[in-house]
Amino acid sequence: MLRGDRHPSGWQGASLVAITYVYFLIFAQFAFLQRLASLGVAGAHLTAVMAAMAAAGILFSLLTPRLSLWPSPELRLRVGLGVSGAAAFLSLLPLGLAASIAVSLLIGAGLGLLTVTLVTHLRQWTGNRHPLLLVGLGTGAGYLVCNFPPLFTASPRMQAATAGVACLVGICVTLWKSPLPIADAAIPSPQPAAPFLRVLACFTALVWLDSAAFFIIQKTPELKAGTWEGSIHLWANGLLHLAAALACVWLLRRRGLSLVLSASFLALGVACILLLDPHRAALASVFYPIGVSLYSVALVAYPALLAPASSIAERGRIAGWLYAIAGWSGSAMGIGMSKNLGSVPPLFVLAAGAVILLPWPLNFLLQRKRELALTVAVLLAALYLDRHLIAVHPSSPLTQVERGRRVYISEGCINCHTQFVRPNSPDVLMWGPVEPIQQLRQERPPLIGNRRQGPDLAEVGGRRSALWLKLHFYDPPEVSGASIMPSYAFLFRDERGDDLVSYLDSLHESGLPQHLAEEENWHPSSSAIAAANANDGERSFQRHCATCHGAGGQTRWEAHFKRLPPDLAVGPYLHLSPSGDDAQRRDRLAHIVKFGIPGTDMPGHEYLSDNEIASLSFWLSQRIGQLSQNR
Amino acid sequence: MSEYPHDAMIPAGNAPRVIASAAWHSLFWLVFANAIGVLISMLLLFPALNRLLGEWTYGRWIMVHLNLELYGWMSLPMAGFLFKVYGADRGPLAQWCRPVLWVWSAALAVGAYSWLTGHSSGKLFLDWSGYARIFFPLAMIALWLQLALSFARAGKTATLAARSAKLLGLVLLLIVPIVMYIASSPGFYPAINPDTGGPTGASQLESSLIIVAILLMLPFGLTRRKNGPARMIAIAWAIMVAEFILCFALGRADISHHRPAQFLSLGSLLIWIPLTPAYYAAFEWRANTRLWRIAFLCWWSALVLTGWVFFLPGILDHFKFTDGLVGHSLLAMAGFTSSLLIFVLVQLLGEGGWIFNRTRSFYGWNIAVLVYVLLMSSAGWREGFDPTFTIVPGAARNAVYLLRLIVGLVMLASSLDWLIDATTLLREPTLVYPAQEAAA
Repeated sequence: MLRGDRHPSGWQGASLVAITYVYFLIFAQFAFLQRLASLGVAGAHLTAVMAAMAAAGILFSLLTPRLSLWPSPELRLRVGLGVSGAAAFLSLLPLGLAASIAVSLLIGAGLGLLTVTLVTHLRQWTGNRHPLLLVGLGTGAGYLVCNFPPLFTASPRMQAATAGVACLVGICVTLWKSPLPIADAAIPSPQPAAPFLRVLACFTALVWLDSAAFFIIQKTPELKAGTWEGSIHLWANGLLHLAAALACVWLLRRRGLSLVLSASFLALGVACILLLDPHRAALASVFYPIGVSLYSVALVAYPALLAPASSIAERGRIAGWLYAIAGWSGSAMGIGMSKNLGSVPPLFVLAAGAVILLPWPLNFLLQRKRELALTVAVLLAALYLDRHLIAVHPSSPLTQVERGRRVYISEGCINCHTQFVRPNSPDVLMWGPVEPIQQLRQERPPLIGNRRQGPDLAEVGGRRSALWLKLHFYDPPEVSGASIMPSYAFLFRDERGDDLVSYLDSLHESGLPQHLAEEENWHPSSSAIAAANANDGERSFQRHCATCHGAGGQTRWEAHFKRLPPDLAVGPYLHLSPSGDDAQRRDRLAHIVKFGIPGTDMPGHEYLSDNEIASLSFWLSQRIGQLSQNR
Repeated sequence: MSEYPHDAMIPAGNAPRVIASAAWHSLFWLVFANAIGVLISMLLLFPALNRLLGEWTYGRWIMVHLNLELYGWMSLPMAGFLFKVYGADRGPLAQWCRPVLWVWSAALAVGAYSWLTGHSSGKLFLDWSGYARIFFPLAMIALWLQLALSFARAGKTATLAARSAKLLGLVLLLIVPIVMYIASSPGFYPAINPDTGGPTGASQLESSLIIVAILLMLPFGLTRRKNGPARMIAIAWAIMVAEFILCFALGRADISHHRPAQFLSLGSLLIWIPLTPAYYAAFEWRANTRLWRIAFLCWWSALVLTGWVFFLPGILDHFKFTDGLVGHSLLAMAGFTSSLLIFVLVQLLGEGGWIFNRTRSFYGWNIAVLVYVLLMSSAGWREGFDPTFTIVPGAARNAVYLLRLIVGLVMLASSLDWLIDATTLLREPTLVYPAQEAAA
């Protein structure tokens, strides 16, 4: 029986991952910088100090797999933890520039030795039962601890001391009996393993994005306030990190590394875009921890457990190159970019996306060469036919009405509006007159339509003024309270809007005068008049009329009206006879409500039922009558 | 005897990869178009959402929804059927079936983009315009070439009658892309019913008879006749020919549905309500097609009956331009055509037909379609009396549209279920590869 089976929990592995992350996040990446600032190290000096850390980190990441000194992984890990801890404690001293550089070198060297050794031999401490889960737990716990409000808001000295103590705890963990020996085999992935260079490029892009975003947040008070301030915010960040780390474990098991890296990019990319606007910092603070934790788990799990490696030495080399290039160089480049640009440019996010996401479709397409070839061939053939053989160019420029008709077709107006008045039907009174079928056939094509979500438009030019049409396109509910039509204001950014209005305005037949006479013969049914109700009338007024005829109704377009729509609570009532009795007034009002006032901007409401019109005219008549008496 | 005797050699559990690919492509477009359907029903309930869509407003999405349902979901299963009939799914040419499906899907993607960016012919279901109007017929020609080459390669392996029928089929299929190009021209418009603006009785009869012809032809490409006299089959074909003659006699003038000749001749289609099940009973079918066979025959009966009733004077006048006819269109497309296509795919996929036979998606889809049709019919009934029911939305209209949105979501979920299963099926290593099949 293996010793590993007697110590199956692997808590040492999770603890060591957590300790390493705590050290890196709270001290190397955060407290040490604050400490340097308090020591007056800034500008070029700061750059030199940080460059020393990066150089040592890169060097020791690459050297560690080749070190013959301290061949025992436990001993090497203890040295790494010891050097890192010592650097944290040394940073508490009043350091000058040279001493700062020396401490920085120690941090880089210690971290290089610690991280590469840990992931190369991680199975010694995690065991073979749930190594992925332990990596996820360790990473999530590391981030959770760093976001623990008392620690996050502590002074840099306290944070450095905590990191030093964490390293000492780490040394104690390594003294515990480790579950040895362990068979070193990669955990089978649900997807074929991607080439190392591609994985390296993806991790580099992610670390680059993360470091840039982190640096920008740290240096921008508004963003910091929106992302890292307040206990609730910090707890939420910590829990999000933990949840994302555990989700990453699940994704790695079920979907493989590629999906985790893509998901991480999507979250980090969205966060970077959101960070361009400080008002969206709170939303960015949701995406950022998710993206960071997703790739952070993978950054440990890939070299330690997932990468196909034939020996421990090869695993070490993979870890070394990964941390040297993706970890240290990616981080340095991200910080450099944010220092110089102050933001993550969207183009850079796109470029990172191309590195991470493009291999998916590219791979897929490379496996479908025949499909791709035939599709491209037909696309090109169609292009050739379109350009050279079939394309017809109009001999004369289109008129405004013709252009407007094209806009009508482009926008799919036909899907909500018909242009066909059915003879011998209620359509005639509402939308008439009827267009002869011979005339309809001359249209190319006839735009009859098959559904009325809105009114028929065959004769709309006779019922609505050009101004009303334009207003309605801008903001339909503004002039027609119940309208469900979308706004087409965008058409007026160029000539399309005016063309469309011109086309609709042209839609009226020569039979219009006769139709107007037929309208004059219309009266609400006697039953509707008998059932008229003032309350219903008022409701209808608020819904259909108040948009223009209420107090301060139509102000936005007032300069365009031939005559501004009057406030009906005040008047004047130019189209009502002052001498008429109440019945005559109600009848006249009913006509105006239903058919509008020809020649003016006042539209009709042809589709309303007799009952609604009778109630509305009843209420209006009462109101106008009272007003006349008061005067 | 089956025309393709090696069918029997395919081991149980296997399904033809080419047909599975056609099913996947068609289901992909079904899910895509259904998702757009859900979007547009949300836009009718919550018009403010249009603001989020920029220039891609409701009217443009409708074009994408309708055309993708027709040319994606409803056409690609027939491509699979034709692959099977012409033997394109077997032998060395089978490797070109998937590229042909890609070209078809690429044409749909180009079409969808063109409609969203405001390119349309202005003709419903024939919105192809500009570059897309050329690309799509070329995709049809790519399919035709694959079929023609497979036919030529097969040589004289089939009977003379079968070869003649296939040759005739190839000639007719070659006309389709040309007709498609011409039909989407703004200068061409079919006969108009002068009282409604819709199709005349004669043109309804003509298009219905084309569906009948397809229904009668399908079994010959899918299975074999049962042993015994083929009287029912002969009767059905004779009636169809007679009805085509009737249709020809009616002509193509702009004639009203109030003319008795129009609605009475359309009524001649009612004979297909008993005749179609009897005709299909004369053929052998795989056991796993039963559910969808029953479903499509039920929807067909409902469609023929309601199609005629909705055309009658008075009734058509009431329902024209209302949601009632929207419901009837859904009965035709999501009820009858969809269940017919799934039945065809299950027959073609053999054991792989399990992807369509989950209880939840079968009942989810069919019940949702039924509820949709009933809801829209009731809305159309109200709207026929009072156009404000739709134009000025109130609580009743919103309630109906909300229910419609819910059943739309059920239909989307069902189609997604099929697509996920089709993806699983495509990944199954036991699927028959063309090379394996050739070896068999």
